[in-house]
This record gives sequence, C-alpha cells and structure tokens, in this order.
Amino acid sequence: MVYYLLQAVFIPLLLSPLAYYITKKGGVTAGTWFTFGIMLYSTIMILLPSLNGYYYEKYNWSQLGEFGLLLDGLSIPFAIIIYLLSTVLVLYSKPYMIHKIEEEYHEEQKSIQATPLKIVSNIPTHVMNHQMGIYYALYMVFAMGMLTTVLATNLIEFYVFFEVMLIPSFFLVAFYGYGARRRISLMYLFWTHVGAVILLLGLITMGLSAGSFDMQNIKESNISVELLPFIAVAIIVGLLVKLAIVPFHIWLPYAHAEAPTPISALLSPAMIGIGGYALMRLLLTLLPSTYESTSLWLSIGAMVTMIYGGAMALMQSDVKRMLAYSSISQMGYMLFGFASISVIGLTGSVLLYVSHGTGKALLFMMAGMLIMQAHTRSFPKLGGLAGKLPMTAVCSVIGALAIMGIPPTNGFMSEWMLFVGALNTAIDEGSTAKIVIFALAMIATAITASYLLWSIKRIFYGRVNEGLEHAKDGSYYMLAPMFFLAILTIIIGIYPEMLTQIIIPYMQNVLGEGVIEVLNK
Amino acid sequence: MIPIEFIFRMVEGGGEFIHNSAFDALAINVWLIWILPMIGAMISPLLNKVSKRGRDISPAIFAFVSATLSSTLIPVMLEGDEIHTQISWINSIGIKAGLLADTLSIIISNLVAWISFLIIVYSIGYMKGDRDLARYWFFMLFFIGSMQLIVLSDNFLMLFFGWEGVGLASYALIGFWYRDRSKDYVGRIDHYALAIPQFTSPTHAGMKAFLMTKAGDIFMITGIFLIFMHTGTFEYKPLIEDHTWAENMHTAGLLIPAAVLIFGGAIGKSAQFPLHEWLLEAMTGPTAVSALIHAATMVKAGVYLVARIGPIFFIAADIASAQFFEVVAWVGAITAFMLASQAIVNKEIKKVLAYSTGSQIGYMMLALGIAGLSTSFVEGYSAGIFHLASHAMFKASLFMIAGGLLHVAESRFMDDMGGLKKNMKKSYIAIMAAGLSLAGAPIITSGFWSKDAIFAALLESSYVFAPVLYVMAVLTAVMTSFYTMRMIGMAMFGKKSKHIEELEEHSHHIHEVSALMFIPFSILAAGTIIVGISGPFVEGFIHERLGIFLTNSYGIEVEHEEIKLNWIAVISSLVSFGIGAGLGYIYYIKRAANPEVISKNAFTRGVYKFLENRWYVNSIYYWLFVIGPLFIARIFWKYFENVVVDGINPALEFSMAWWSKIVRYIQSGVVQTYVYAFGIGIIFILIILLSV
Repeated sequence: MVYYLLQAVFIPLLLSPLAYYITKKGGVTAGTWFTFGIMLYSTIMILLPSLNGYYYEKYNWSQLGEFGLLLDGLSIPFAIIIYLLSTVLVLYSKPYMIHKIEEEYHEEQKSIQATPLKIVSNIPTHVMNHQMGIYYALYMVFAMGMLTTVLATNLIEFYVFFEVMLIPSFFLVAFYGYGARRRISLMYLFWTHVGAVILLLGLITMGLSAGSFDMQNIKESNISVELLPFIAVAIIVGLLVKLAIVPFHIWLPYAHAEAPTPISALLSPAMIGIGGYALMRLLLTLLPSTYESTSLWLSIGAMVTMIYGGAMALMQSDVKRMLAYSSISQMGYMLFGFASISVIGLTGSVLLYVSHGTGKALLFMMAGMLIMQAHTRSFPKLGGLAGKLPMTAVCSVIGALAIMGIPPTNGFMSEWMLFVGALNTAIDEGSTAKIVIFALAMIATAITASYLLWSIKRIFYGRVNEGLEHAKDGSYYMLAPMFFLAILTIIIGIYPEMLTQIIIPYMQNVLGEGVIEVLNK
Repeated sequence: MIPIEFIFRMVEGGGEFIHNSAFDALAINVWLIWILPMIGAMISPLLNKVSKRGRDISPAIFAFVSATLSSTLIPVMLEGDEIHTQISWINSIGIKAGLLADTLSIIISNLVAWISFLIIVYSIGYMKGDRDLARYWFFMLFFIGSMQLIVLSDNFLMLFFGWEGVGLASYALIGFWYRDRSKDYVGRIDHYALAIPQFTSPTHAGMKAFLMTKAGDIFMITGIFLIFMHTGTFEYKPLIEDHTWAENMHTAGLLIPAAVLIFGGAIGKSAQFPLHEWLLEAMTGPTAVSALIHAATMVKAGVYLVARIGPIFFIAADIASAQFFEVVAWVGAITAFMLASQAIVNKEIKKVLAYSTGSQIGYMMLALGIAGLSTSFVEGYSAGIFHLASHAMFKASLFMIAGGLLHVAESRFMDDMGGLKKNMKKSYIAIMAAGLSLAGAPIITSGFWSKDAIFAALLESSYVFAPVLYVMAVLTAVMTSFYTMRMIGMAMFGKKSKHIEELEEHSHHIHEVSALMFIPFSILAAGTIIVGISGPFVEGFIHERLGIFLTNSYGIEVEHEEIKLNWIAVISSLVSFGIGAGLGYIYYIKRAANPEVISKNAFTRGVYKFLENRWYVNSIYYWLFVIGPLFIARIFWKYFENVVVDGINPALEFSMAWWSKIVRYIQSGVVQTYVYAFGIGIIFILIILLSV
C-alpha cells in the first residue's frame, strides 16, 4: 500500500514547521521552493489515484469510527482544484508577500518614528525571513485543512478539518491582511465558526441517530423521521454561511477583500465552495429525500444570491471587493446547480467549482498584480493598463470569461450544464415557480457579464491614469501561475470529459435513474 | 481521456463518418477550414517576437489556405451530396463533436472564407504601422475561425462555441483602439437624445456589442436547452430524421417558444430589431473590422442560423411553425424599414453603411420568414441566401472603400469629404459599382436581382399580411437607393469641403489608396457587376442547388420549374430605384436642389430629429437597462447592504456588550448580595419542591 492520500494530507501538516525553519535560516527563495516542492509532491499524490476515478484509504481511529480518506467522483474535482491552486499560489506568494511585508514594515516604522521625513530603512532580512516562514507554515496547514475536509468519510473527521482550514486562514488574515485586519479576521472567524457549530449540531444528531459517524454506515441506516428536519436545517444553515448565501454573506466581502491576495485567491475560489461540496456530500448523498424537498427553497436562495451578489459587485469601487461580491454571486450559481435535482445540473455545479476556482483565482491574481505594480486597487485610479501589463490583461480576460461562462473557457461548460439541469427539472415537475426562478437566474448571467466587462474596461482600457506610467508586468513568479491557470481554464473548457466522466457516474448513482431519463438515453 | 488523443483522432481522417459519400476523403478539409485560422491566430503573437513581416503576412496565408480548402468542397455541393463527420467529445453525456458540410454550409463557408481573405489582404495595407498588430491578427483570424465553426458545425453546442467566439472577437476588435482617443469615437461629440449621449468610445462600444448580443444569446441558449431536453441531443440530424420531439414539444406548448427563443440569438447577433443598437456603435473598430463584421462574419451568423433551423421547424411541424416564420418575417421587415430610415439622415459614412447592413439583413430575415409562410419554401429561402451572398460582396467592398476615404479625408463625417472623385478615380469607380448594387440599380448589379427575388417571394406568398410586408420592403428599397446616392454624392461629388481644402493647404496630398487596399475592394466591386450581368443564371443556380438541398436533407418537396420573372416585382424594383436614386441624384450629385429645405418646416424638422435620434430607441434602452437597474442596485447598496446587512455585525457586538454590562452588574463581588440571592433561590426551590 502506498498511502497516497495519507501522504497528501499529512506531509504538508508535519513539514510545516520545517518550512518555517528553512525560510528562517535559508531565506525566502529556499523556503518558497521547499513549500512549492512539498505542495507539488502532495498534488501528485492526489493526481495519481485520481486517474482511476475511485480510491479509498481507511485507518483505525477511535470510537467515533474510522479515519477514512476517499477520492470518488465527487471529491476528485474538488481535491485536484484545491491542491493545484495551493501549489501554484506558493510561487505567486513569494514576490507578493515580500512586497506586502515590506509595505507593512515601512508603515510601522513610519508610525514609530517621530519625524516622518526621515528615510525609512530597509526591512532586516531576519524579520522578513521570520514573517515569510510563518506565512508558509500557516499556508501549508490551510491547504491541507481544505483538502482533508473534502476527503473525509467520517462526520467528526469532516468537522475537525472543517475547522482546521478555518484557524490558519484566520491567522493569515490577521497577520498579513489589509485595513482593519484584526477586526475583520475576528469577524470572519466568528461567522464561519458559528456556522460550523450549527453544522456540528446537525452532524452529531445525525451520527447519534444513525448509530455511527461513518458516512458509509449512515447511508445504509435509517434516521428517525422526527429528527430529519432538524438535521437538515442545521446542515443547510451551517453550510449556507460558509457558502455566503444571502443573507449570511456579510463576512465575505470583508474577509476576501482584506486578506493578503494569494490567500484571497484561495479563500474565494477554493474554500467557500467547500460549503457546496459539503452540501452534496452530506445532504444529497446522505439525506436524498430531504434534499429533494428543500430544493425549491434552495433555488430561490441561490437565485437571489446570484442577482444580489452581481448587483452589489456593480456598485464596488474596489477591485478586490468587487471580486468578493462576484464570489457571492458565483456561489449562488453553484447552489442553483445543486438545487436542480438532476444529474446534469449537479455535474454543472461541481464543474462550476472548478471553473470558478480557476477563473476567480486568475482575477484575484490580477488584483494582486495591480496592488503590486500599480499600487492601487481602486477603480477610479486605474485605467489604460492593457498596454502596460499585457500578460496580466490577457490572463485576467480569460479569467473573466470563465466567470461569465463564455466558451471556450470551462465556465461555459459548467453553466450550460447547471442551467439545463435546472430547466429540465422545472419543466418535468411543471413547476411555474421554478421556471420563473430559472428565467431570473438567466438574467443574473447578464449581470455577471456586465460587472466583469465593466471592471475590465475600467482597469485596462481608456487613458492611462496618472501615476501608472511606469507600471509593468510583474515577475515570472507571478505570471507563470497565471499562465498555467489560464491554459487549464481553456483545456477544461474544450475537453471537460476529463472531469465529467468521473462526476456523472457518481451523480447517477446518487440520484438513481429516472431523474434524467431523457438525457440518459 | 486526454486532449492529445482527441487531436490525433481528428487527424486520422476525421473520425467516424455518419454518411458514407464519395467525398469522405475531404472530411479532414472540413475540420481544417476552421482549425487553420485558429492555429494562425495562436501563431501570430509568437511571430510577433520573431519577425514583424512574417506576422503580417502569415494571416493572409492562413486565410488563403482555409479559403482554398473550403473551395475544395464545391464539388460536394454540385453533386448535391454532403460530408458529415463526428468524433467523440463529452462521452459521458453522449455529446459528439461533428461537422456537417452540406449545400448551405458550403455556400456560406466559401463566401466567408474568400471575403475574409480579401479583407485580411486589405488589412495589411490599412493597418500598416499600428502598434498592436499581433492582437489585431489574433482576433481577426479567431473571428474567421469561429465563423467557420458556426457554419460547419453539425450541432448546437459547437455552433454556440463559434457563436460566442465571434462575439468575443467582435468585442475585442470593436474596442481595438482601447485607449479611447476622441478621434476613434463614433457619433457627433455633442449629440444627446433624452439626456443620453449618442456618441461612444471604442471600449464602450465593444462592451455594448458584447452585452447586447449576450442578451440574445441568453434567449438562444434557453431555446437550445428546451430542444435538448426533449431530444437528448444537440445535433441537427436527429431533429430532421424523427419528428416525435416536435410533436411532444407541440403538445407541451413549447415548440414555438423554443424556436422563437433560438431566433432571439439571431436577432442579437444579426442586429435585428429590438437588439440592433450595438451595430451602429460597432463602427468604432478599424474599418477592416467593420467590413469583416458586416460582410462575412458576425451579422451573417444570425441569418445562417435561421437558414439552418428554419427548415427543421418547417418540416417538423408544418402548421404549428407558421407563427415562428411570422415572427422572423416581421422582425426582418421592421428592421429593414427602421434602419433604412435612420441611414437617410446620418452624416458619418461608416454609420450609413452600418444602418444599411442592418436594413439589408432585415431583407434576408424577411425572405427566410416568408419562405415558411409560402407554399413553395424554396422561393423565399433561396432569395434570402442569394441576397446574403450579393450583400456580402458589395458591402465588404463599400466598407473597404469607405476605409480608404476615411483615411484620406482624416474624418469620419461626409461633410468633411466631397469632391474626392477627382483624386481617387479607382475608388470612385468601385464605389459606384458597389453602391449601385446596394441601391439596386437595374439589370447590371447583383443587388437588383437578389432584391427582386425577395419581392417576388413576397408576392407569391399566401400569407395574409404579405402585402403589408411588401409595401414595407418597397419603401425600404426607395430609401436604400436614396441614402446610397446621398452617400456617394456627399463623399465623391460636389465641391471639396473646407476640411479637405485645409488638408491640402497643409501640403497633405489627396491621393489614391495603395494597391494592397485597392485590389481587394475592386475585385468585389467587379464581382457584383459580373453577378449582376449574369443575374438570372446565378439566381437560377442557387435556386436549383438549394432546392435539391432542401429535398435531400430535409425532405421538403420542391417543384422543379423554370425561374420566371415576376413582372410586378421587377417593376416595383425599377420604380423604387428610380424614385430613390433620382431624388438622391438631384439633391446630392447634381446638387440641383438644396436638401436644407427640410429645416424650414416644423414637421420635417421633427421627422429629421426623430430619425437622427434613432427613433429614441437607444436612449430608452439606456434608461431602462442601464440607468434604471443601476439606480435600483444603488438603493439596495446604500440602504440594504450597508445599513441592514452590514448592521448585523455592530448590532451583535453592541448587544453583547450591553448584555455583559448587565451580567457584570450582578457580579458585583459584594458577599451580602450573593447571600441574599442564594437565600432567595433556596426559598424558590423549596416552594417548587413542596408544591409538587
């Protein structure tokens, strides 16, 4: 036995102190490449078993059940995207975080010095190494937490790692964020933690009622009918907070806008979508009957979120806040696909996680590039940068197309699938409400296109704004990850079969035949 | 599993063949027709680093090879055969990638390919010295490749790939001069209607084009979904072979909605009423781009789509589909009339041509719509396609000539031109040929014959309102020949304008355009005349080919009869040309009368203003779809998001702080208080216990 997944999970966790040590002693470059190497190795550990489409490892744990790590049709896309993003963002972090830490240091020096005119000294190497070391150590734990949440097969295990991904990200925001970062990180912690505790109540009730915390056993057991509504509500509310569905969304624009940009690029595409994953794993797979009865309400919430998030994104004058609201809107899409009760819609929902993962990561990387190279993230101060940052412009347009759902990017593949699924169910059920919701959701796609095109126009087109004359593309540490994701976006967009061939059988299995008779001929 | 395999299977002779015809060996050509321009697009940014010269020449080579490949398919059309090739794509949902080269797609593919090639050659001269040529060539070739994908695809999903591809390319090319210098704007800079500016910057125009066509695409994709749900496939062929899906949809009341929704996509892409407003702003792009959008790609995509799905709905449900064709015909007629009326008053040469394109596309839609309302489907159908072909030729030519005029006069306004025919003899001859074709000058121009065919189809239709449509079409023809003469007269005839004289004073010599620009548009202008002279033969040929195509592919019965001239149609063509062109000649060429007379009369002034403000449609759209929604969003942002939702955090915070104050007050640390509380508690518990 090769322990693929055990390695993928625990190597980053156990070696995170070493990442700190190496960065501290050997410098930032050594630390970066060490972290990158570890993450790359772990990613390969995920990719190898994924090729088969199914892989399961389990270990004896405690009375709570087994410690299982499972790659199946549902978790493979999530696991791959989480680790791919985590890996490429290590490289992106290097120049960006050096810039950020320097900036922070200078701010601090300025506030300490009595005379502001005195030239601020450069940051001492040991301070920089220390800070970057802590960053990489936390980063690895954060990535590993997200991955293990997706792989978990036991409710308690799931909850533990659901919180493990929260704690390091809390510190990352608090240590390296912008603005009122300590306050915002606390807000982020409280909201998501309260959500998680509500979820925990549901999970414990479900486990006790079923007599086991292992998902495999729960699926086969009968949960008492009286408890079902309570469990379902606890799980849904807990996860909607994570997904930032309106009206539980208010923590997100703060946290995602003020986190250091590489972390925003992980929080926004990778982390909040895990809420969607958890809905599929816990609600759809374990409680299918409850899932079907809640679908109408979920799709209303999803539709409202799509439109509301998009409308709020139109109102922003800050690039990162705009992207944060865009994430809210995109999670609405994901929930909309989830609520479609059809194989193809659910597949689209999973693919949306993938396309949002690549697309939104690209856009956040663009925002980071703007912060570094143009020293601003406010729309009125930007403009005309297409000629100054051509590579960034190309990559971010590809990212924006993925979010808008324009072929040949993967966003189109995910969106048509989830919309066709939703429409199919609406017409099969003959539900007027669902048809109206579908129509409104289609309007949301126009809103999405508007705010993204308008943002692109304000950043990249028009006259070059004052103070931007010397802006230029960043180093290859930042550009290479962007290229990688841009190419990935298009490859998946042209040939989604790589993912659909493993997702669709899973969804067919869960929903059983009959739901999609027509499409499944 | 991996994309490499995907590519290999394609190269191995085009995958699996559905229909075994003698021409299967050509399948690989069908793939290459659209893939080659895509490859060329990818290469041009790379060549930019190697050799500027290579970068500028390679697009022409790619376009030429692609065009040659599409010409190799002509024998297939002559045989009345087709090539259908498929490879696996998204197996898990049973979706295949496939191409279908039949008579319709071969005709349009050839038109697209050759006209695009000429425009690419013209671009080499026209865009010389621009600093972002790598981007230009990328999107031009991507544009052509996407259009060929639309035309050759055998299913709706790949069609949609190409469909959005042309949308993307047009967005990028309309906003090509992204720095938004005021000389790249369209519209008079001080022109407002209902407080909405009627002038736009290139990037604004690009965005507008993208969003408006996207609105159409939302309808279209919904329509496609409806069909997909009832058939489980995106391909056209199964829709033709088995009609049970149509019966099911008809009983569910979804057939006509689905058809009209798909037509919504065509409305957006072909700039038909009510989604026509983007087309006029699209003039901010380089003129070669306008030529490409208006003649070969983009707007023709919508016509192609209707030509592709029209027969499907026609045979799938003969009686039930009439409403769909009524919608198509009326949208076409209204657009044709509306945009022609606006072209009469416009002062910018490119915008006149843009209005004219929308109007002419309206004719094509009208023809395709009337086809479904007649006993003889092929009449209107072939008239529509014939007009598409003839329009593609003369409009590409006109745009390329206009590009030269703009270049020479350094202004987009026709007021700033005038008297250019003396210095630009070749352009003058070409604009006369192509312009007369647009105006429908009798006998010798292709425009005359194709318009005549549409009139004839209208007259032969059994549709109740056909006479109304006919009157609208004839009025449009009058306006068309008038604005064409006006355009030629203002630009070429009369005295030189002040602007030109100033240019000449500053030793700026007014000269003919270079051969690289001159040859492409001359070829097309000559083409319209050649087709014009042999008009009835070309018309008969297209009629016959499409008749065979409709019978073979769709099973639509076609009576094979000799083409006869419909004398009413011919006479109305002649009369409308006579009136329109005559007025234009008097006012703008001979300058015997002064067109300023209309400003003396309140009524005509009002009409003029109404037309100049584009029937106020543009302004109303801005109020309804931009300013209104943004206002609502701002209210939500200000009073809901910022107050109510954002208030949750401080509310929790303060209530907690308040609660802690109370709790803190109780925990005073005074022992006596605790003893009292303890005592009271004990008493309470005792009472409860005793009372049980």
